[in-house]
Amino acid sequence: MKHLFSTAAALLCFALPSTAQDSLHTNRMEEVVVTGTGTQHRLKDVPVQTEVITRRELEQYGGRSLEDILSGLTASFAFSEDDMGSQMQMNGLGNAYILILIDGKRLHGDNGGQNDLGLIDPARIERIEIVKGAASALYGSDAIAGVINIITRKYDRDGLLLENTTRGGSYGDLRQHNSVGFAIGKFSSLTNFQLQHTDGWQNTATEDPQQTEFLITDSRNKTVNRYTNWQVAERLTFTVSPALELYAEGSIYRKRIYRPSGKYAAVDVKTYDLQYRNASASVGGKWQVSDKALLTLDIDWNRHAYYYVFTDTTLVDGYDPYGNFTHYFPYFPGQANLQSDQRRTMGHLKGVFELPAQNRLSAGLEVRHDWLHAPMRVDHGGTVTDNTEALYVQDEYSPWRVLQLTGGLRLDRNQEFGFHLTPKLSAMVKPTEWLRLRAAWSQGFKTPTPKELHYRYVREMSGTYLYLGNTDLRPQTSNYGSVSAEIIRGGFSFSVTGYINKVEDMIALNTIPNYRAPEEYQTQYELHKTRQYQNLEDARTVGVDVNVRYAFKDFAVGGSYSYLDTDAHQYDADHERMTEVIIDGMAHHKANWFATWNHCFKRPYRLGLGLYGRASSMRYYQINGNGKAYHIWRLSSTHDVECRALRSRGITLRGEAGVDNIFNYVDRTPHGLHLGTTTPGTTVYASLTIRFNQGKTQFKSFNPNSKQNNNEED
Amino acid sequence: MKKIKFFMMALAAIVLSANFVACDKNEEEGNWVKYQNAVEKNVKANKKQNKVILLVAFGSTWQQAYDAFDETVQAYKQKFPSYDVFLSFSSAICINRAAAGENVDPRNFYAPNFWLNAFAADGVRYSEIVVQSLQVIPGEEYTRVINYIKDFANNANGDLDDEYLSKVVLKLGVPLLQDPESDVPEVAKQLNALYKDKAAQGVVAFMGHGNPDSYDTYKANVRYTELEEALQLYSESYFVGTVDMMENFKTNVLERMLEAGIVSGKVFCHPLMSIDGDHGHNDMAGDDDAWDNGFEPNEEGEVEDTSWKMFFQHMGYECNDATMINKGLLELPTIRGIWMQHTQDAINGEALDYYHSKNPEE
Repeated sequence: MKHLFSTAAALLCFALPSTAQDSLHTNRMEEVVVTGTGTQHRLKDVPVQTEVITRRELEQYGGRSLEDILSGLTASFAFSEDDMGSQMQMNGLGNAYILILIDGKRLHGDNGGQNDLGLIDPARIERIEIVKGAASALYGSDAIAGVINIITRKYDRDGLLLENTTRGGSYGDLRQHNSVGFAIGKFSSLTNFQLQHTDGWQNTATEDPQQTEFLITDSRNKTVNRYTNWQVAERLTFTVSPALELYAEGSIYRKRIYRPSGKYAAVDVKTYDLQYRNASASVGGKWQVSDKALLTLDIDWNRHAYYYVFTDTTLVDGYDPYGNFTHYFPYFPGQANLQSDQRRTMGHLKGVFELPAQNRLSAGLEVRHDWLHAPMRVDHGGTVTDNTEALYVQDEYSPWRVLQLTGGLRLDRNQEFGFHLTPKLSAMVKPTEWLRLRAAWSQGFKTPTPKELHYRYVREMSGTYLYLGNTDLRPQTSNYGSVSAEIIRGGFSFSVTGYINKVEDMIALNTIPNYRAPEEYQTQYELHKTRQYQNLEDARTVGVDVNVRYAFKDFAVGGSYSYLDTDAHQYDADHERMTEVIIDGMAHHKANWFATWNHCFKRPYRLGLGLYGRASSMRYYQINGNGKAYHIWRLSSTHDVECRALRSRGITLRGEAGVDNIFNYVDRTPHGLHLGTTTPGTTVYASLTIRFNQGKTQFKSFNPNSKQNNNEED
Repeated sequence: MKKIKFFMMALAAIVLSANFVACDKNEEEGNWVKYQNAVEKNVKANKKQNKVILLVAFGSTWQQAYDAFDETVQAYKQKFPSYDVFLSFSSAICINRAAAGENVDPRNFYAPNFWLNAFAADGVRYSEIVVQSLQVIPGEEYTRVINYIKDFANNANGDLDDEYLSKVVLKLGVPLLQDPESDVPEVAKQLNALYKDKAAQGVVAFMGHGNPDSYDTYKANVRYTELEEALQLYSESYFVGTVDMMENFKTNVLERMLEAGIVSGKVFCHPLMSIDGDHGHNDMAGDDDAWDNGFEPNEEGEVEDTSWKMFFQHMGYECNDATMINKGLLELPTIRGIWMQHTQDAINGEALDYYHSKNPEE
């Protein structure tokens, strides 16, 4: 690991002495971001520390998925992908604490606390904004670790757009993205179709000998299973007047995860695949009431349903034809059985008002209804619901040009846990044109989810694991504080951020004695482990994030480093003492770095080359071993053809190709234990984008509110 | 306005299409019958006699357990040539996995209710059904076996032929340690015959399963204590502990060893379960690093997350892979013989009368 970090440091040091300017870099700092405050700010002057991955960076990197992009381009994230989705960490806290927004709307649905990021089509991403901590009053205080806001490309200009991106790679990797957009008068439509597929791979055929009867070296269990998912999404926009825009959106998504079956009943025999069926619908609009007031309204409905699709005859819990509960309800190959159906309906009304004396007030009301139906996994007839409402206000105040203050208050009311008020404060001082100092303090509040309270399931992984909800859970609260300094000078930028996030009553899965499992489960399953959601007494994450970037002429280099330490305790009633608990998946050191070169040869050809690296120290887990440290390097290339003949016809051509994991690192830890990374070793990819624009058409990013005053522009 | 209406209609179409996915309910309704038919087909294909023995075990996914079950079925077929012999699992996961898999012959260990119903089907109709429990103690699992027989005999679902049920001879073979007066001494005698050489070298600690205190409803756990007492008549080196029985965990076995003045020497460990599966390999003979966490007992007095092997090893005894006797009781012909004697006793004894106790007028 040592030589790795020194390599990264050397790359960064190489960047520091020069002071050359770069237009790309300058453009980057001019990027308009919205996540921190819900209002528009240029990145260089955003009052709440915001990380951005721009469209250009995304294209240069050529990521195959959101996991690939986030782990490759920032140091704050760690992922472990499996059949349940992506187990994600942001500065040491997991999925439950990370709010993933797509155009400001919450990603919906989880399996085992993990999210399916296949719902996000990488080819549709305009940019990604990351805000750490529960900093924003607007998006909910439950974003205890932070917010990832994925801004997608929209289409609302006259004319016709046709676009196809096809990306192929090793292990049968296929990514298809298709867009059809058109606009007639005040009406516009954008239809997207995406498909993602991989054949999956197997890094090892050896099972953990500690968990098996005898040494098994020909297991069929894969490291990453084969899967296919597709999504159709439609967005209709109607511009009633220059001040009023309405929209309606909807999508349907399917994913199937194919699980191979082997010959060892205890280890790799599978009798069903997994399937997700998602749908979403939204309506809303924005109304520029006057040059000092903007209103937006969004109403969303989301469904995430999880099924077993049987590949062999399988007995599951159910009701026999006589109405009696049975452990032996049979299903046959090809049939599907619903495991859980999560539906969420949300309404969000927000206003942004320009007030005298350099104040900008944002205020809003959010209403949320969650519905969880899991016939065999939840008591209460298989269905539970949860209602939450929130009121918030936020004021952005800029008394002097060098100082910007943002204060917010959010009042949440939950049907079970009542009212809770969370304050947020942040400040930015700009003593010189090239230095920004920022500080933030925010409180977070997160009520237990219906799944954490009520859901239970059995998972077979070389032994039967029982996972239990817990109706005695209490809400979690957090205090997040951060200070940062940012230097922006010409093509050079450097930021360092220190943070502490203290979570009280943190909810985490903990291993409990099997005798505490319900009697029915003890009798029916020979339980290997029982795990239950419990409140930890306290948990603390402390860390430092460093970002550096330097660009001159056609070159850009940069990197980021994240140091993390966690400290969590749980009261052990058996021994009447506090015990230290590992926050699963934490790693002390993570880093990534890049060097890119973009050159426009004589028209029509522009070439981009990029060398990327990422590394992590050991990842720690409560059970089944720790994940090994690793570092992975990637070479990417982009090829843009910009000839006049094509352009006059409205055609754009773009190619990407690259090699990932060029030093062929593979973690061959036996199956059943945690891996540091699931990479299969060296892989190659290539993609081609063909875009046809007819008329005055172009993509533009959707801005939730229009530019309002000089605060946004300076 | 028309355009707004169009938006709303398009949106409604998307929402409705999302709600109408996967209405498989009708398709599922026939599954129960289809599965029962498959069990009946299997029974018909293998029916050679007019009487049947159904062995009922919890189940396993371990190869060693499959071999033990195969051996047991063969032994039963030899001893009871006028009976067909089938084996049933009560664990759905074990049933599923045994019947599936690539490049392996399916092992059909159907659940007891499906077997029993198949025995009563048209074209099968065994004249005598003997259900033999392969449980060690008459505890929670055994009670479930009894309930299956009751539901069958009483035609609880009303889908069986009452006339057949009123005539069929139904017998129940009891668990290994059913009778404290006869079974316990006999099992002790046979175990001693097998392991007296080991007992002369050190402790022989048997690991039973046991029921947690919360549902030791039938007070069957006491059989383990009785067995230890019976074994200690042969040698004070014998101990019987459990995985789940309150006050009889491995920590309690250690206490009793210390009380007996055994502070060092070899500790042989042996599962006291019908098969040597997950418990035998992990809870008894597994490797772990729990010692690093201090080996502190929980509120019930058990040190969790460590095996018997690692526990006794860290407590200063010679306990290692060489002292692990990884054999299930069904693999021991003399112990298996006691279960088979229970079957013989059931055959010789009076038939169960659950049907007429519920339908006295018949």
